Amino acid sequence: MVEGFRPADLREALEFRSQHPSIPIAGGTDLMVQKARGFALKPDFDKPLLFIGHLPDLQQIIVENRQVHIGAGVLLSDLIKSDKIPAVFKEAISLMASPPSRNIATIGGNICNASPAGDTLPYLYAVDAILVLKSSQAERKIPVGVFITNPGKTDLASDEILTEIIIPDKKFGVSYYRKVGTRKGMSLSKASFTGLADIENSNVTDIRIAFGSVAPTIVRSRKIEASIIRKPVSEIKTAVPEIVKKYAPLIRPIDDARSSAAYRKKVSLRLLEDFLRNLAS
Amino acid sequence: MKDSISKPIPRVDAPAKISGEAKYIGDIRFKNQLFAKTVRSSRAKAGIVSIVKPELPEGYFIVDKDDIPGINRMRTVVSDQPIFAEEEVNYIGQPILLVVGPEREMIYDIISKIKIKYRDETPIFNLDEAEEKGAVFTEYSYSKGKPEAAFQDGLKIIEDEYHTGLQEHVYLEPQGMAAEYRDNTMFIYGSMQCPFYAEGALKDVLGWGSDRIRVIQSITGGAFGGKEEFPSLTACQVAVASLKTGHPVMMIYDRDEDIICTTKRHPSIVCYKAGLDRKNQVIALAIDIKFDAGAYSGISPVVLQRGMFSATGVYNFPHLSVRGRNFMTNNVPSGAYRGFGAPQTIFSMEMLMHNLAIKLGIDPLDYKIRHLLERGEPTCTGGKIWDEVKLPEIIEKVTAMSDYRRKIQSNGKYKGVGVALFLHGCGFTGNGEQLIKGKIILKKNGGTVILKVSSVEMGQGAETCLRKIVAHTLLLPMEKVTCETIDTGLIPDSGPTVASRTTMIVGGLLRQASLELKDRWNESDNIEVSRVYRHPDYLRWDNDTFHGDAYPTYSWGANVAEVEIDPITCEIDVKKVSAVYDVGTPIDETTLTGQMQGGIVQGIGWATVEVMNPSKGKLKQHNLTDYKIPTSMDIPEIACEFIENPYEFGPFGAKCAGELPFVGAAPAIAAAVSNALSVPIKNIPITPEYLMELDKHED
Ligand SMILES: Cc1cc2nc3c(=O)[nH]c(=O)nc-3n(C[C@H](O)[C@H](O)[C@H](O)COP(=O)(O)OP(=O)(O)OC[C@H]3O[C@@H](n4cnc5c(N)ncnc54)[C@H](O)[C@@H]3O)c2cc1C
Repeated sequence: MVEGFRPADLREALEFRSQHPSIPIAGGTDLMVQKARGFALKPDFDKPLLFIGHLPDLQQIIVENRQVHIGAGVLLSDLIKSDKIPAVFKEAISLMASPPSRNIATIGGNICNASPAGDTLPYLYAVDAILVLKSSQAERKIPVGVFITNPGKTDLASDEILTEIIIPDKKFGVSYYRKVGTRKGMSLSKASFTGLADIENSNVTDIRIAFGSVAPTIVRSRKIEASIIRKPVSEIKTAVPEIVKKYAPLIRPIDDARSSAAYRKKVSLRLLEDFLRNLAS
Repeated sequence: MKDSISKPIPRVDAPAKISGEAKYIGDIRFKNQLFAKTVRSSRAKAGIVSIVKPELPEGYFIVDKDDIPGINRMRTVVSDQPIFAEEEVNYIGQPILLVVGPEREMIYDIISKIKIKYRDETPIFNLDEAEEKGAVFTEYSYSKGKPEAAFQDGLKIIEDEYHTGLQEHVYLEPQGMAAEYRDNTMFIYGSMQCPFYAEGALKDVLGWGSDRIRVIQSITGGAFGGKEEFPSLTACQVAVASLKTGHPVMMIYDRDEDIICTTKRHPSIVCYKAGLDRKNQVIALAIDIKFDAGAYSGISPVVLQRGMFSATGVYNFPHLSVRGRNFMTNNVPSGAYRGFGAPQTIFSMEMLMHNLAIKLGIDPLDYKIRHLLERGEPTCTGGKIWDEVKLPEIIEKVTAMSDYRRKIQSNGKYKGVGVALFLHGCGFTGNGEQLIKGKIILKKNGGTVILKVSSVEMGQGAETCLRKIVAHTLLLPMEKVTCETIDTGLIPDSGPTVASRTTMIVGGLLRQASLELKDRWNESDNIEVSRVYRHPDYLRWDNDTFHGDAYPTYSWGANVAEVEIDPITCEIDVKKVSAVYDVGTPIDETTLTGQMQGGIVQGIGWATVEVMNPSKGKLKQHNLTDYKIPTSMDIPEIACEFIENPYEFGPFGAKCAGELPFVGAAPAIAAAVSNALSVPIKNIPITPEYLMELDKHED
């Protein structure tokens, strides 16, 4: 028998979580689909549900010390409306699901679902987002890329809740985002590309590149990024083939019902190329 | 034009649907009702060695082939599919038995304990394999002129091949059916297009007369052919279950289950051998059509016939031979789907003409115009184009609306424009209407009139249009004209709601009956007028040789599609579709425009995003996460216009309209993509994955 608990506040939620094996449920847009068993049947939950979508503690967006603190329960639609969220991140979010789904789905759910096709993830990887995980006893901070370990797998402990996502309050001089889905709405990514950069005095001073849906987790390489930083933009154009070549082995997509590995790889590298060429011009 | 029949009125079915009051089959509950769930084959082709059933808790039942009192076959064109599998299964998803009982949880538990042992056999998964093994259900051919002699006559020969894919209907609500056996009568309720098809099937399976069977349509959403023959299967299953259990039995499919086991559009391969004379005119054409019918023949022979009789599209080729074959594979059976075989052959024909023109360095539209059929000329089956053909006017209008002539000259790379010309044969194919002999009844009851037909409302606006035809003739307000409930015990068989025949054929009968009723209006308060379909005298058809008038008349259309291809991702963005149609007289312009827009969108889906690939008989895209249809975001600007061309035997001049818009969208889009990338397009769906392979990008 599946039980559910609807806590009054975060403290109560953490208390429950420390005492019972449980499944946190926010918008339920991943969980209810994954656990559905069919018409008029109870979904397949093996542990009690802990409802957290309504908790005000998890729904704030605060800017502090040049950082944006996003509550894990913030709705995708509220992120789009907020003036504290960078435009390129909003762009990615506004291409997720559909308006009704975005009115119930949360950012925390997208992160904890840990899908390689999760569309908030490439940006969060690119800006080195830090996640705040709380239990009734403790709090820890961990980079998103460390938290997500495998498709659908995270480092979340059984007594923890993701409470906050911290991103830098920073606007990159250049930002580029493309999602490749099957259609314009209600479409999971076949591939996605996020590129961020700063250019000062015709030199690349910062660059972040992240690929979604083309490997078990989001692809980002600090090493390759470092090799681009400090290059004069004038040199980028000639360096494009070499950079593309460096990324190629990291892009390891699969064939599935939505697309082919060959297409995903090609399109990812073409987007990278396009981003780099745009930098140079 | 104020009182014109075309002037839009509110849809009569809209308020209940918008408010949520409308009860679809899933909203209905019966007292003491049991649920049924189907246990299906997990094998594409196998013998059933044994079925081990668990001990059933009280109140739970297993219903299978042994419970069928009559014949264990679903009645349709070819009655070859068992209601429940017997010794063998021929596709993944084939129904074997039902588990029936009060609690769905328990039903699932029972199902998990049923063990079926199979003896696997070698399946056939695609047309190539089927052709190699000679697995043919049906083969037909016909010819016109002297094709063999013509090909010997020094013509330039060009050969080509075109492919189209599976398409799922994604009707509004999944299949759902309920049976209630009471008062010595089987009552069937469900989502369906053709109550009398279900009745016929039930007669075979129960072994009863129609006096003991009542089929009642529940509110049905857009069904697109997916609820033409398939509901006969589920109706028989729940009927047998209700008979066995003594309870009402309800069976509603989940969407995934529905996608896995219900009929789809036939995948096709069409091969051409075209003979061109010195002026590059196609003088002789040999067409070889191959449809994948799936595991059972069912309704496929007639789908093939329409495909064959539409195979030359809007063109006249003096020498023609057409061969058509339905192949047997171990895929889920194909079935009726908007257009019924014609979209496949017309897509291929349109692309053949397009690609020939490009090869010859001629503008595709000009090349097509050089081959157009005209009034008085023979149809491909040697019948006659009896009525005026307004294609020149249609083409002029659609090119003006879309600025086609300028755009085809000036579009740069990645931007394309394409045109498709098409027709649709109105009503049943061949002698279908004469066989069915649709009947309607009009009943005056004081100041109101009830019309009794078996044509159903399924979101297409049939009820509005049919009532409007009667109301308009009798000069009565719409409220005074109502439709009898769709219940086979209360209505005559005016035929199934298919083949774009409802407005033209059934509406035509209603119009005649209304005129009679109008004359006799003052005779009494209770007058009944009925009509039975009569084929126009001048039409000839020989069903053995496929010679003559395959259709009483045709509706016509032209589409211009404009696309942009993303140079990096190869995604296709359909920007605009301009469409002009001749459907005789529009009975209601708003309802009709809705049909046209819907047909275009469904055609866009078929041409682009609707990818469905079976892998070893199992569909890779078996839910709506992976099988994508266009969303509102994907719908382009659609400009739609009508050219009036009243048809003598249609109500107020109306011809067929429902399937026509589906036919034109895919070839127009394919032509536009071809134009944008300067590549020949021969397959749909046109995916970015496919285009990426074609696109010569510097990488
Ligand atoms: C129709 C549809 C379209 C979609 N389209 C997209 C799309 O385009 N792109 C995309 O990326 N996703 C898409 N999704 C997936 C989904 O909507 C998103 O991943 C969404 O952000 C999940 O949020 P949620 O609040 O609904 O998560 P839930 O389903 O409530 O939870 C998801 C997972 O996260 C865990 N969880 C949730 N919150 C917390 C927390 N605070 N702490 C710890 N664990 C937590 C849950 O236990 C569960 O494992 C789509 C889903 C649907 C149904």
